[in-house]
Amino acid sequence: MFLLDFFWSLWESITHILTFSRNPQNNKLSIHVKSNTGSSVDVDLDPQWDIGTLKEAIAPKIGLPADDMEIILAGKSLDDSTTIAECDLGEQSVLHAVKSHGQRQRRSRPLNQIMSDLVEENDATLTTVSEVPENQDSVQPPVADSEEKQQKNAHFYVYCSVCMTKSTGNPATPLKPKEGKLRVRCFSCKSGAIQLDSDPASWSDVLEPARVSGDCQEQGCSDGPVAWAEFFFKCAEHVPKSENESAAVPLYLIRANSRSTPCLACMDVLDTVVVFSCAHTICLDCFNDYMTSKIRERKFVLDDNVGYSLPCPVGCEGSLITEIHHFRLLAPNLYNLYQQFATEDFVLKSGGVLCPHPNCGMGIYPDDDCNTVRCTCGYVFCKRCLQGNHIGDCDNAVDILTGLSPSYTIDPSRAAQSKWDEASHRSIRAGTKPCPKCRTATERAGGCMHMVCTRCDFEWCWVCQTSWTRSCMGSHWFG
Amino acid sequence: MAASRRIQKELNDIRTAGLKSFRDVNVGENNILYWTGLIVPENPPFNKGAFRIEITFPAEYPFKPPKIAFKTKIYHPNIDEKGQVCLPIISAENWKPATKTDQVIQALIQLVNDPEPDHPLRADLAEEYTKDKKRFFKNAEDYTKKYGEKRPAD
Repeated sequence: MFLLDFFWSLWESITHILTFSRNPQNNKLSIHVKSNTGSSVDVDLDPQWDIGTLKEAIAPKIGLPADDMEIILAGKSLDDSTTIAECDLGEQSVLHAVKSHGQRQRRSRPLNQIMSDLVEENDATLTTVSEVPENQDSVQPPVADSEEKQQKNAHFYVYCSVCMTKSTGNPATPLKPKEGKLRVRCFSCKSGAIQLDSDPASWSDVLEPARVSGDCQEQGCSDGPVAWAEFFFKCAEHVPKSENESAAVPLYLIRANSRSTPCLACMDVLDTVVVFSCAHTICLDCFNDYMTSKIRERKFVLDDNVGYSLPCPVGCEGSLITEIHHFRLLAPNLYNLYQQFATEDFVLKSGGVLCPHPNCGMGIYPDDDCNTVRCTCGYVFCKRCLQGNHIGDCDNAVDILTGLSPSYTIDPSRAAQSKWDEASHRSIRAGTKPCPKCRTATERAGGCMHMVCTRCDFEWCWVCQTSWTRSCMGSHWFG
Repeated sequence: MAASRRIQKELNDIRTAGLKSFRDVNVGENNILYWTGLIVPENPPFNKGAFRIEITFPAEYPFKPPKIAFKTKIYHPNIDEKGQVCLPIISAENWKPATKTDQVIQALIQLVNDPEPDHPLRADLAEEYTKDKKRFFKNAEDYTKKYGEKRPAD
């Protein structure tokens, strides 16, 4: 702790020396400027600089006169009067310097600001967050603040595979989404030196490639002035290790609670919320509680188009979460469960079976014409009743595993385990009835005779062991 | 925990509302997930007494419904001898996390006041209720006087 304090004070004095009397917020930014001819320079920027100053500074290094240069960020040529601070650049960001095309001077603001405006005009289609001042905790003099134009930047929430797959200690702790930034590149050559012809007008424009056209100024790009744009997201919370780092996945249901909608579960009004396609709103903590409770109950839905997902907590029609990376916010141990259940449900839905042997559960697609299934774990079972292999009808199943199977040799420790399994097997058999549809052993802990299978949702009658009917309701609903 | 924050809020709302038919709301010591309260029905034959209920909230509340049980014996087609009640609004398939306890209690009071013999928990009482209402009322009133709690004075 002492050592940490020492380094901290050392760091503070260094930054103090470096910034002199300047506002300590204005730390230098190290960024790369790439020219479309392939050369690249690293520059340390002062956020107070405007683009004109930047052009002057890099002109000799790039070999382009400042007057003849355009700086491109996120699909936009930046105006000379735009300051670096307005551009929402992160450490190690990449700007593109290209030769100006003469008259085609487009009045452009950074993409992030355009997105903010778009949201205010048309807020049903896009998710954005107005910028939260980074030093929220420190008390700011209100006068100084009102002088400055409040910066409006669109922020997005993303799943970042770099930040979020690192082991964060407790595997039972839910993850927090990362802030992300929207960027754009040429669909064909993947260069960032592209200028958009128009701004994206909806989430679809952003999420699907080749919906917005642009002018790619990368030398050698086959599409050149008639290129398609491809939007992508980068994580704003780590310095990229390389330029080709994989993009972050936008968690587009997560947004800032700009309308102060109370969470449907805890009823608090919180800053960051999840808004479902049906407009039902839930705070991030409750969203995690919701996912947690549903995955523990195994109540996710396997949808052919979407995958293993959840509808809004109210259960609205058509409200399934279509970007399943939202479930990466589950605590890692529960996310493992999510993956397991998704796989198992897929195997079952597509006609496979799961090996019933304890600690196995291998997914197997058995032959159509044979009831006997041999798992790679060595267990041989009947695909219809999921009991050990037997001769004849499933109801009178006699376990013939021991003795009759010629390839079977008895290992003493395995035999002991089998005995134990046999005991639990018996108690499961005594206390449960199999679901008539999927054979999942089901215990009736109380309530009425109307059973709903937790695995396959089949509605059945505990007494008749067939599907639930009106006559069951009439004669023995409650026993 | 989201559950306790919401339950605390609902408790405050219910206490502020001061319902005539649901009073005396108490919370378990160090356990906000357990409530008790007094149902005071207005319709005969149950308006001769009051009924103590308990509400148990699961840790997953509001993603799972609360459970309600009667602590006072009651002669009612929809409430069984153990005090279990079949209330559609809190059944697993109907439950919505946005449903408030206040609405659940209103639904319960409604059910106590007007039994639903089509979905009975006690078939014998349902039959009596539909076929011989007079006898049902007499029995239920006697039962309420015998086992019910005292109604609050105001």
